[in-house]
Amino acid sequence: MDDFRIRSDRRPSDGGIPARRAVTRWAWRLFRREWRQQFLILALITVAVAATVLGSTVAVNNPPPKNAGFGTAHYSVSFASYGKKAQNFIAHLEHLGTEQVIENETYSIPGSIHTYQLRSQDPHGPFGGPMLSVVSGHFPSNASEVAVTNGVASAFHLSVGKSWQVGGVEREVVGIVENPQSLLDEFALVEPDQVPNATQVTALFDVSGASLRSISKGVQINSPASVANSNPLNPETISLAALVLGMLLIALVSIGGFTVLAQRRMRSIGMLESIGATDHHVRLVVSANGTVVGVVGAILGFIVGFAGWLAYRPSFEQSAHHVIGVFALPWTVVFVAMVLAVLAAYFAASRPARAVTKVPIVHALSGRPAPPRQIHRSAIPGIVILVGAFLLLGYSGGTGGGNGSGGAPELILGLVLLMPGLILLAPFLLSLTQRVGRRAPIATRLALRDLARYRARSGSALAAISIGVLISVIVVLAVASRGNVLDYAGPNLASNQLALHTGFPPRGQIIVHRNAKGQLVRVRHHKTETATPTQLAASAEQIAKGLDAQLIPLESPNAGLNGTEGGRNWSGQIYVATPQLLRAFGIKESEINPNADVLSMRPGLSGFSGLVFNYGTNSKQAGGPSAPGGNSGPSCSPANGCLAHPVIQDISALPGGTSAPNTVITEHAMKEFHITAVTSDWLVVGSQTFTAAQISSAQLTASTQQLQVESRNDIPSTSTVTNWATLFGIIIALGVLAMSVGLVRSETSSDLRTLAATGASSYTRRTLTAVTAGALGFLGALLGVVGGYVAMIGWLRSNSLNGGISALGNVPFGDIVLILFGMPALAAVVGWLFASREPAVLGRQPIE
Amino acid sequence: MSMLELRNVSKRYGQGANEVDAISDIDLSVERGSLVAIMGPSGSGKSTLLTIAGSLEEPTTGDVMIDGARLSGMSRNDKARLRRRSVGYVFQDFNLLAGLTAVENVSLPLELDGVSMKKARAKGMDALEGLGLADRAESFPDQLSGGERQRVAIARAVVGERSLLLADEPSGALDSVNGEAVMRMILTACHGGVAAVVVTHDAKLASWADRVVFLRDGKAVDETLPPPSPEELLNPDVANPS
Repeated sequence: MDDFRIRSDRRPSDGGIPARRAVTRWAWRLFRREWRQQFLILALITVAVAATVLGSTVAVNNPPPKNAGFGTAHYSVSFASYGKKAQNFIAHLEHLGTEQVIENETYSIPGSIHTYQLRSQDPHGPFGGPMLSVVSGHFPSNASEVAVTNGVASAFHLSVGKSWQVGGVEREVVGIVENPQSLLDEFALVEPDQVPNATQVTALFDVSGASLRSISKGVQINSPASVANSNPLNPETISLAALVLGMLLIALVSIGGFTVLAQRRMRSIGMLESIGATDHHVRLVVSANGTVVGVVGAILGFIVGFAGWLAYRPSFEQSAHHVIGVFALPWTVVFVAMVLAVLAAYFAASRPARAVTKVPIVHALSGRPAPPRQIHRSAIPGIVILVGAFLLLGYSGGTGGGNGSGGAPELILGLVLLMPGLILLAPFLLSLTQRVGRRAPIATRLALRDLARYRARSGSALAAISIGVLISVIVVLAVASRGNVLDYAGPNLASNQLALHTGFPPRGQIIVHRNAKGQLVRVRHHKTETATPTQLAASAEQIAKGLDAQLIPLESPNAGLNGTEGGRNWSGQIYVATPQLLRAFGIKESEINPNADVLSMRPGLSGFSGLVFNYGTNSKQAGGPSAPGGNSGPSCSPANGCLAHPVIQDISALPGGTSAPNTVITEHAMKEFHITAVTSDWLVVGSQTFTAAQISSAQLTASTQQLQVESRNDIPSTSTVTNWATLFGIIIALGVLAMSVGLVRSETSSDLRTLAATGASSYTRRTLTAVTAGALGFLGALLGVVGGYVAMIGWLRSNSLNGGISALGNVPFGDIVLILFGMPALAAVVGWLFASREPAVLGRQPIE
Repeated sequence: MSMLELRNVSKRYGQGANEVDAISDIDLSVERGSLVAIMGPSGSGKSTLLTIAGSLEEPTTGDVMIDGARLSGMSRNDKARLRRRSVGYVFQDFNLLAGLTAVENVSLPLELDGVSMKKARAKGMDALEGLGLADRAESFPDQLSGGERQRVAIARAVVGERSLLLADEPSGALDSVNGEAVMRMILTACHGGVAAVVVTHDAKLASWADRVVFLRDGKAVDETLPPPSPEELLNPDVANPS
């Protein structure tokens, strides 16, 4: 005993490492015993890390590898042919050191708009190794052998062992090959010097800096670094930014979770203190728990994300068109994600950890949380920060002479400041709501009062909801404010539409013709002979017939619209409202105002007063503006062929694509202003979505007949973006509510037991939960929407490029209403439906 | 020297009209090796007295000294260290940590005090063996009976070099046989030099004590004194130094 006593004096007063180990061990045991209570936080962190691992890996690997086209070389130079300039340069390189020359000749694949290369490349050359790999067979080893890619093999029905005439030589196919750095690269590989008429000669080489300067005159030397450096907003940066924001949201939600967990363990913590645990030990229990959750979530997230990557990699390689290594993960992002996950959980647990040490031991032992202190949270700090954000965003929007081009740091700082502003306003708003609801019925009053009393939970949940909504509202407002009747953007056509324009294949390209006998023949295109309108119309008719679709000729008038507002100019093709066009879109003559000059589906164009109609001789044939800035004002008069206020009628039945005839001139205007028109384009409208094969077929036909086919692009419309952003905000808010309403209500479970014991019906219980969910949802939406408007008004007020604050007039009211009222209503309804269960234990606290 | 000494200790809860005196002007001295029982009706302040004596709560007025160390003015960490090294607590509802085995519960105060896990475990096993629980050392609290849990709690309260044992209704949740067994263990600890204070409602168990203090409405209303020692009988000044 004496020995033990003597040694005890030497022990550290806080127990040192053994104490920390004991406490951490207990925290780990608690995590294992109560992982279900921490499942939501764990799941959040796991999903966030997994999404980051998979998302950033996909984002980083989607572009071609940095050395694509370079192999292992540091530099490359390309020439259009193996002419004198190329020969001299390559000869110069041979004196300086090692080089490798790759020659290509482009050929069309018969019956397809695609091409392939006849490529001469030494597979064992000094630099080109990473650009070639054998899928089956082997590389060609003499002039009578060829290896082809899968695409070429498929197009020409080739396989290893078959004979094939290519480049004017009969060769045996000895292998299937691919370019791992670009699976889109379709080629037939032959021995070096076997391409007689190369259309591209590439030299790969490595030289010292001094030598590089000596040879760089008159040639464009490329390097992987110069390509990579051209894009500062690389996928890794974007992934990290999204990750930081996501983890902030998770941390905010987790604070509530850890607080409730700490309350659940209050008795155990009291026991620990009663046997001599210090405040440091108690804090360690909660924060170690947070760390354990973070570590487990980070590891699980990595495993799930990596497994997802392994499963997705094969199909992703096909869509990214290059081979990607199993471990080609952005390890920096992955590491930062895992560390941030642990830090987010640790900091989320730190606040409850500090709070729990302030509970008197006797209170803790009794399992009763200390009554919440009445804290009078002022709105002033939050408002001050929001004003700061407003001013910073205003400064940013006003830079670059009012186009906002020079204020990126202020823009980022302003957006970041919005978040603490909202976080600080959240508790104040809860207090305010409690005061507003003090005359409400008992269940509503109690729910609102509990929200205000237990702000540790509800405040962080409210902040998380408001930040989620803020992001979504800013996207909605920013995209909508960019939307404009003058130069509105979006998809060009619908999926069942094709536009045919007059056009020619590039000179030098080998094209396929069908000769008089109906055979496909390859010829190099040298000269363009203009087809007659009749021939073009016949070709368009042929394409439409091949697609079993309706053909609508589009007539371009020698008149145009012009207008400028807020730095935005009118853009877009205008056509003539021919009877055939109107009929095709179901527009009856009777629907058209006989005095209308212009019909348009662009919402709000009819109310736009700054538009002018140019029909004079200086109007462009294609109908575009004659001069930037327009002829509005005093200069616009009939004397110079300009109508200041054309009668514009909104016709929503007209097609909405940017390349479709969304704005047309009426026949009335054509007659009145003596406008003439020619058929320049055609719109092909099918009864169903056109397939890729149909579009390819149309393109093949068009490429041989001086027409170009335009199909729907991938650009989302403004409404698509705003709708997705709205959905994102609602899902985030509902997700946070799903996780936090239960936590908020669990803290008042004793009240619920008392209510149930005194005869409160399920209606009361349902109302409590519904009001809690609805009020939190509404307050979060309100804060988020206010924050979003503060940001956008701040930025737009001094920004002339986007038309200033008036640009917010384009905001879709429905989306904001959906966020502000639809989401809280949905949360309340779901809360009502899921809150019917009576407390399991009425008479006493549940045993841990 | 007294192991525990309370001088004019009072505890007041609430403020203004809600003010309540839980205990008033309590004086108590407990010598090493002695067992003092505190009795009284519900709300008389027994548990408050014990929590103040164990440094779990601050008195409103008065002084508490444990092993000569005055609690007033001590930091929270110093009090925690005092509890780890000198004070053992036994509660009516055992208060064992659910996530730890019996031996880990017993050795926890030692580990919190910086003793290595191996040595603390050995000490914990010794304590459990002394109370006949060596075979249940690896059981978790929810796998133990009520009597076994209380024995584990006593083992935790006396493990190491504790010299003051405070027990709040230690037999309250046990049947009479187990209750007596628990009191016997506390008495055994006292025979080993530990000073013990036991709050109980049970007069039969209180009769095991050297001295019984009766509380009513927060005041000590009666006290059975310990029998005088031969030295005190010979020299009255020793018994009444004032």
